Amino acid sequence: MPQVNELPTVASPVMEPAPIDRRKALGLLAAGIASGLASCSKPAETIIPYVAMPERLVPGEALHFATTLPLSGYGRGVIVKSIDGRPIKIEGNLRHPASLGATDLFAEATVLSLYDPDRSAVVLRDGAITSYEALQQAFLGEQQHMRANDGEGFRVLTGPTTSPTLLRQIGELLRTYPKARWHSHDPLGDPAAEAGATLAFGRPLHAIPRLDKARIIVVLDADPLGAGPDQMRNGRGFAAHRRPTTSDFSRIYAFEPVPSLTGAKADHRLALGTNEIGEVAVAIARAQGAAVREPAIPERARSLVTALTKDLADHRGAALVLAGPGLTAETHALVHWINTHGQAPLDLIEPLARTPEGRAPASISELTADLAAGKVTQIVMIGVNPAYDTPAELGFAAALPNARFRLHAGCYANETAELATWHVPLSHVLESWSDIRARDGTASLIQPLIRPLHRTMTDHELLARLVGQADARSYDLVRETWRSQGGADFENWWSQALHDGVIANSAAPPVSAGEPVLPALADAAPKDEHGDEQGHERLALVLRPDPCLWDGSFANNAWLQECPKPLSKQVWGNALLLHPDDARRLGMAGGDVVTIASRGQHVQAPVLIEPGLAPRSASLTLGMGRRKAGAIGSGVGVDAYVLRGVDSPWLVPSVSLARTGRRQAILTTQNVVRRPDDVRELFPVHQLGKPQALPKTLAIDDRPSLMPERPRPDNGHAWAMTIDTSLCIGCNACVVACQAENNVPVVGPEEVARGRDMHWLRVDVYDHGGSGDQQLGFQPVPCMHCEHAPCEPVCPVAASVHDGGGLNLQVYNRCVGTRFCEANCPYKVRRFNFFGYADGQEYANLGLDPYRGQKNPEVTVRARGVMEKCTYCVQRISAAERAADREGRQVGADEVHTACQNACPTQAITFGDLQQPDASILRRRTEPGHYALLAHLGTRPRTTYLADVRNPAPDHGGGGT
Amino acid sequence: MQIFRPGANTIALLVLAAIGATPVLGIGLAYRITSSPYTTNQDVTRNQPVPFSHDHHVGGLGLDCRYCHTSVEKARFAGVPPTETCMTCHSQLWTNATMLAPVRKSLAENKPIAWRRVHRLPDYVYFDHSVHIAKGVGCVTCHGRVDRMPLMRQAAPLTMGWCLDCHRDPAKALQPRETVFDPTWTPPPDQKKAGARLAAAYHIHTGHLTDCSICHR
Repeated sequence: MPQVNELPTVASPVMEPAPIDRRKALGLLAAGIASGLASCSKPAETIIPYVAMPERLVPGEALHFATTLPLSGYGRGVIVKSIDGRPIKIEGNLRHPASLGATDLFAEATVLSLYDPDRSAVVLRDGAITSYEALQQAFLGEQQHMRANDGEGFRVLTGPTTSPTLLRQIGELLRTYPKARWHSHDPLGDPAAEAGATLAFGRPLHAIPRLDKARIIVVLDADPLGAGPDQMRNGRGFAAHRRPTTSDFSRIYAFEPVPSLTGAKADHRLALGTNEIGEVAVAIARAQGAAVREPAIPERARSLVTALTKDLADHRGAALVLAGPGLTAETHALVHWINTHGQAPLDLIEPLARTPEGRAPASISELTADLAAGKVTQIVMIGVNPAYDTPAELGFAAALPNARFRLHAGCYANETAELATWHVPLSHVLESWSDIRARDGTASLIQPLIRPLHRTMTDHELLARLVGQADARSYDLVRETWRSQGGADFENWWSQALHDGVIANSAAPPVSAGEPVLPALADAAPKDEHGDEQGHERLALVLRPDPCLWDGSFANNAWLQECPKPLSKQVWGNALLLHPDDARRLGMAGGDVVTIASRGQHVQAPVLIEPGLAPRSASLTLGMGRRKAGAIGSGVGVDAYVLRGVDSPWLVPSVSLARTGRRQAILTTQNVVRRPDDVRELFPVHQLGKPQALPKTLAIDDRPSLMPERPRPDNGHAWAMTIDTSLCIGCNACVVACQAENNVPVVGPEEVARGRDMHWLRVDVYDHGGSGDQQLGFQPVPCMHCEHAPCEPVCPVAASVHDGGGLNLQVYNRCVGTRFCEANCPYKVRRFNFFGYADGQEYANLGLDPYRGQKNPEVTVRARGVMEKCTYCVQRISAAERAADREGRQVGADEVHTACQNACPTQAITFGDLQQPDASILRRRTEPGHYALLAHLGTRPRTTYLADVRNPAPDHGGGGT
Repeated sequence: MQIFRPGANTIALLVLAAIGATPVLGIGLAYRITSSPYTTNQDVTRNQPVPFSHDHHVGGLGLDCRYCHTSVEKARFAGVPPTETCMTCHSQLWTNATMLAPVRKSLAENKPIAWRRVHRLPDYVYFDHSVHIAKGVGCVTCHGRVDRMPLMRQAAPLTMGWCLDCHRDPAKALQPRETVFDPTWTPPPDQKKAGARLAAAYHIHTGHLTDCSICHR
C-alpha cells in the first residue's frame, strides 16, 4: 500500500516566496491607486450640539468671569475670558487693587498651565496609582491615631497663604488636634523684612509702599517694579509721576548689587555691594538726625548720597525709602526709622497669614529640626515643593523620610511627591473655589472657570477630610467663611462679590505702629576680604527670584521658559552673572561653565557677562534646574537653591568659582544695545532740566515715495499705537499676553539656538548711560504697521497687503514663504514658521491634545512655511467693528484694546483710531518727545513712541524740577 | 526620397497646437474641478441621523429660522439647536415615531445628536452670520430655498470667488432687514436700485469689503 504523504516533511518548492510576477505587480499597482484615490475622499464632519444648552452661552462668543490668581500667597484679581466653556485668556480686573486692570506674565501664563498634560491627575501611593477610596481608608486610620494622641507628631506644611478659608480651616484643624502644628514655607519670603519690623516696632508689620504718592523714591537693593505679587500696583504708582506733562515728576535713586527693573528705570543708579548698600541707609538716617554711627560709604557713592539726602529732606511726606530682602534686619529697621521720620507714603499692616485665632505658622527650619529629631510621625504638605526649594544645607529632603505618613498634595507630582508616601492631585486655580487676599489685605473670591479636567481635589477639601468632613465641597467651605460677612442678604452679597472679583472694604486697616526703635548697628564691616588663604578668588553671590519662572513653580510653562528675561534676554535657562572685571581677573569668558561652590555645596553654571553688577558680586536666579517639573521644565538651567544659606537666604556671602573647561552656549533672543551711536539714533532719552527742551512732536516724515499716498480706500479708521518708553518697565506682561491672545507658538531651545523665535512683540533694551554706570531703557517693538510698508512691494503673491484701517495684513492662506518681506522689514518684526511650530512639529509635548484647549478660536493657527507678525489684534478690531455694525453705531473712540495694551501695568501702550477726534491716542501723540522709529526711512509707521524721560538730581547732571 | 507623406504636415501642426493648448486646457480643467460640485460639495445632500426636513418645518409649518438657530443675530455662528429644542414640540407630537427615536435617545442618555455637517468653510475664514443679518442679507441668499429642502444640502458653492461676488457688489443681495428670515422673499424688479438704497441706509461701504482682514485673521 502506497504511503500517504499527508504531512510533507521536506519543504515544497512552492512554499518559497515567489518573485512578483506581472499579474501580481499589476494587482498591487491597482490596489495602490485605488487606496490612494480612496484616501482623497473628504472626511465627513459632524456637528455636535448640546443636549441642553447652558444658560447665557452663545456659541463662539466670549464670556468673562472675575477670579483671583495667587502668587506667593497673595492674590491678583483677573477677568478670565472663556469661549465655549474653555478659559483662553486672562485679563486684569480694574476693580482689584493688586491688578488695577493690568496683568503680569505669570497671570497671563496661568491659562497655559491649566491645560498642561503633565499635571498630576491621579492619587499615588509610594509612586503607584491608587484610588480615592484607598486614600479615604488611610485618612480614617490616621485620624484615629491623631484623635488618640491629640495630633501629637502631626504637621501641616503649606505655602505662604492668605486665604481666609484655608486659614479658618487650619485654625479648626489646630483646635481639633491641639498638639498638631502648622508650618509655612515661602521660598521667596523676606525674613529680614519681618525681623527688621520686629526690631523697629516690636511686631512683624508689613510695609505697603504707596508709590503713587511718592516724589522721591530711594531703592536699597529692592525691586518694587520687578516681578512679584505687588508689581502691578507698584507699576501703576510709579507711572503716576513719570509723564513729562505732569509737574510733579518723581525721582528714583537705586542702589543695587544686581541690575533690576527698578534700577533700569531709576534716574540715578549705582551698583554697590550689599554691605555697602546697608551703609547708605546708615548715611541717610544719620543725615536725618538719627543717633547712629558714622557710615562707611564708598567714595563713589558719596556725592549721590549727599544729593539724595537733600532731596529726601526737601520732600518730607513724599519721599520713600525701600529696603530689599538681601539687606540685614538692622538695615530694615533703620529704613523703618527713616520712613517714619520722613512721613513716607507707606502703610503698615499686620501680617495676613494668621488663623482667625491669631496663630502664626512655624517655620520650615523648625519643621526640619523636628523631622530630624523624629518628633514628626505624620506630615501633610499642601501646594509646596520643599524637596526642591529649601536650601540644601537645611537637609529637608534627608529628614522627611523620618515621618511615617507623608502626604503631598499638589498640581504636579514633583520632587516632594517623590519622597512622599501619598500624593494627592490638586485642582488648578482656574478649576477651584477658594478665596485669597492681596498684599494690602483686600480679599477676593476664586471661582472655577471650568470643571476639573482630571479627578482632583482642592486644598480646602483635603483639609476638610483631615478633620473628618469626608464629603465637604470647597464651594460650601468658602461660602461658610463669608456667610457672616454677607449678612442677611447673603446670596446678593455673594453674587456681587463674585461679579466684582473683589470683596468691598476688606483691605487691612493701616496700623499706627508708634515710634520705631533705632536698631543697634554692628560696626561697619571691614574691607571685604577678596581671597582666602589658598588665594582663591571669593565673590558674593546675590540670589534673585527668576523674573520669568518665579520660585520654580512655573517651570513647566513653555511660554515662561521661552520668555526672554527682561535684562539679559536669556531664555531656556539661567546663568551666573559676572562683572566683566571679575571675569577678566578670573580668566573667564561668557559661556564658560564654572563650578560655584559654597560651604560644601556646589553647582555648575555657564557664565554671562553683565556690566551692571557691583564689582565682586555675582548673581544667579532661583527657580531653575527642576528635576521633576515635567516635559518642558525638567533639567532646564541650574538649581540655585542648592547654594542657598538658611540664615541669609538672598545672599551667599562668599562663593568660590572654578573653571570646568567646558563651554555652553547661552541662549538669548537678542542683545542689549550698547553702542552709543545706535542708542542715540534709536532710543531718544530726555533729561529733565537739561538745556535742550524735549523734541517737538515729529511731523510725519513726508519724503517722496513710490508707494501710493494712501494705500487703500479708507474705511473710516486709522489704527495706530503709541508706546511711552518712559513708562515701560520691561516686565514682559505684554509679550506673554500677545502670545496667549494670538496663538504664538513656542519654538524650544534648539530652535532658539538657531536664532529663531516667534514672539510678535519683543522688548528692546538700550543702555543710554554713556561711559558711566549703565542706564537701561526699554522699547517694546511690535509691527510698525507702516503706511509705506517695505514688506508689501516685495511679496510675489500679495500676502502682505494693507486694509482700509491702515493695518498691514499678513494673509496666511496666500503666503508661500519666500521670506522677502522679512528681509525687507527694517524693524525685524516678522517671524517665519521654519517648522510647524504650532502645527504638527511642536516642541516637546506642546502638540498634545490638552493644549489645544487654550488656542484662541478667533486667530488662525499658522502652518509651516508661513510668515506671521503682529496684527494689532485684528480679531479684536474686527469684533468691535462687527459689534458696532450689528448695533448700528460707530466704534467708540477707545473701544478697541490690544492684548499688550490691556496687560501693561503702567499703561505705557495706547492704541486707538487716529480718525476719532476724542481718541486718547491723539493726545498722546501731541505730547513732547513723540517720535517714530527709523523715521528717516520714510516708512511712516503707525506705531510711534514717546521718548524716555529721566529726572536726574540738579547737581548730578540735571536741572531739577 | 520622400520620408513623410503630405498628411504629415497636418499632423505636425496638430501636435504643435496640442503642445500649446495642453497647459491652457490643463489649467482650465483644474480650475473647473476646484470650482465644480465635486470639490465644493454644492448640491450634495447628506444623510442625517434624523431625517430632519426643513421643507416640513419651515415651508410647511412656518417655523422661524431663529426658533432653532438662536444665535444667528448675536454671534458668528447661527447655532445648531440642542436636543431640548426638538423636544419642546416632540415631547407632545409624534412621541412614538420611530423616525424620532435618536432624538428621544439623545435626551434620555444625555448624549448629543451627531449631525453631519453640510456647510463647511476653511478654518482661516471667519464668517459672521450676525453682521450679514444686520446688513440685510437674507438666509436664502446663501442657503437657498431651505423651505423646499426635505434634506439639507449646500445651495451655493461657498468658494472665495462666490463670496467676493457679493462683497464687490453687495447691492444685488440686499433686502430689507425685516424680510431676511422670510424664505419666500423675492427681489423686486428694480433690485439694483433698491439694493443701492439699502446699502446706503445700512451704511455698507463697498470700498473696503474686499479687504483681506474682513474674512481672514
